Amino acid sequence: MMATVEAMGCRHRLWRRMAVALCAMLPWCGPVGAHLGGDLAAVEADALQLQGAVQRTALIAYDVQEITAAAGLTVREYVTRSGTVFAVTWSGPVPPDLAQLLGSHFARYLAGFAAQEHPGLKRSLRIATPDLIVESGGHLRAFSGRAYLPALLPAGVQVADLR
Amino acid sequence: MPVLRLAYSMVALLALGLLGACVGGNGSKAGAGGSTSKPPVLNSMTLTVEAGPAAGSGGINHAYVTVKVCEHASTSCANIDHVLVDTGSWGLRLVGSVLAANSVALGAETDSSNRNIQECAPFGAGKTWGPVALADVTLAGEIASNLPVQIMDDTGASAPLPATCGDASMLINSVAGFDANGVLGVGVFAHDCGEACVNAATPMPVYYGCSSGSAGVCTAENVVLEAQVTNPVALFAADNNGIIVELPNLQNANGDATVQGTLIFGLGTQSNNTLPVIGLSVLGTDSNGDFTATYNGQSTVLPSWIDSGADAYLFDDPSIAVCAGATIFVGYYCPAPAPLSLFTVNTGVGANNASSTVQFALQDPTTFAAGAVALIDLGGGGGAARFVWGMPYFYGRSIYVGIEGRAAGSYTGSYFAY
Repeated sequence: MMATVEAMGCRHRLWRRMAVALCAMLPWCGPVGAHLGGDLAAVEADALQLQGAVQRTALIAYDVQEITAAAGLTVREYVTRSGTVFAVTWSGPVPPDLAQLLGSHFARYLAGFAAQEHPGLKRSLRIATPDLIVESGGHLRAFSGRAYLPALLPAGVQVADLR
Repeated sequence: MPVLRLAYSMVALLALGLLGACVGGNGSKAGAGGSTSKPPVLNSMTLTVEAGPAAGSGGINHAYVTVKVCEHASTSCANIDHVLVDTGSWGLRLVGSVLAANSVALGAETDSSNRNIQECAPFGAGKTWGPVALADVTLAGEIASNLPVQIMDDTGASAPLPATCGDASMLINSVAGFDANGVLGVGVFAHDCGEACVNAATPMPVYYGCSSGSAGVCTAENVVLEAQVTNPVALFAADNNGIIVELPNLQNANGDATVQGTLIFGLGTQSNNTLPVIGLSVLGTDSNGDFTATYNGQSTVLPSWIDSGADAYLFDDPSIAVCAGATIFVGYYCPAPAPLSLFTVNTGVGANNASSTVQFALQDPTTFAAGAVALIDLGGGGGAARFVWGMPYFYGRSIYVGIEGRAAGSYTGSYFAY
């Protein structure tokens, strides 16, 4: 709950920063979507810029917003009926900028990364806290992963559905 | 019949001469076994699974070799020990402070604007950052001359990483980051990024042109294949179509302190690297370097590869307990009861489309011997959308890695085989 409030409070400034940073980073230029725990109000305003790059699918318990990049990076955002991003997944030739995608949760991801028992080449990294799960991995040319907030998972949604 | 014998001899000489001319004409062609007039070069070296370097981080299942690194066309060289052999990446990366301590100063690779080329190379967990430099690298008797390598800049000697490379705390540039003085990527590709970094409309956040010095500024840019960090095997004059990793079985089921094996260069080029005619499963890989796998009878088709840089079998199975509490194996699988028998079906992609069922097992790693670093039957990777055949799979086997576009007998890379 706390995370959601924080994210909403900073969303406008964050959105502009995210958009600028992502334009520099990604093969496509435009906002990637709301970060984990954020809402979609700002995405609506920016959606026109993404046009064909964004595909929204409405499911019974949530919406999926898929953003496909020219270079093959795909980001999917899972949005609750009340408009909160509860999960983000990705796949592509390079990992996405997790600072962008994880938003206010990024610091805890970094703490988990630093605390790994066997760092380095481990190709699959899982950081699990009671309210944040991040699973990422792959090798040069092919990365994939997902991050989600277990407490916000809509009833009946399986983690396996988040791909 | 001396005249006839002389005639035979002349014919034989003539034939040899023609053969020599043919080989000479194709001398620079990749995959050639070398000139017939010279003895073959030494194409094998010892690799050792053991504890990492003193400044390491206590890793497990790391296979190391010693790499001779020279400034290009120079006698200024150093033997860098504890370089991790990694069949899951491409190209040689060396820790900057280790090179400096060995008084080796490699020449920078520059772009057409005379800016230093630096690389942000993502690994499964973390990234490496630092300049691309040119080195003459010797492995066994094989030389990769003027090889683009990455210097993992752990001292801030080069331009700092740009924001698009990610957060600085995600860097694994140091000896502790890899539990090694360097990483020797000898997987299925010749170049680490490939075409994606050559022609992108917006350059990938991988290669950068940087102004020099520790305050340099970097801009992402495209880089031709030849300038990308390169698998040294691909640049050998011969024995350049792949490698074999051979490791014996462990002496103790609960782990060994050290295991010695052999890293062999070339496939079907010398008497020690013949591809078996019978029983070899050749698994072609896609443009990512992956074949496919289905785990334990499940229907999900997972990307899969054979990876000496991964310390365990890495795959997702929520039904297996994960180790917790006071153990160095937190996060790995702790099956109960153990051992747990499992299987995976591997299938090649493209022309080399063999299918092979592999039985494997997981032990409870908390029963492994204290201090052992060579460990079999170790699994982890909960949540992974992939199946990684890490180091446990290498013990007691020969693993063949065929480089993209290079032929060995009837097989053309990229592929893994066993």
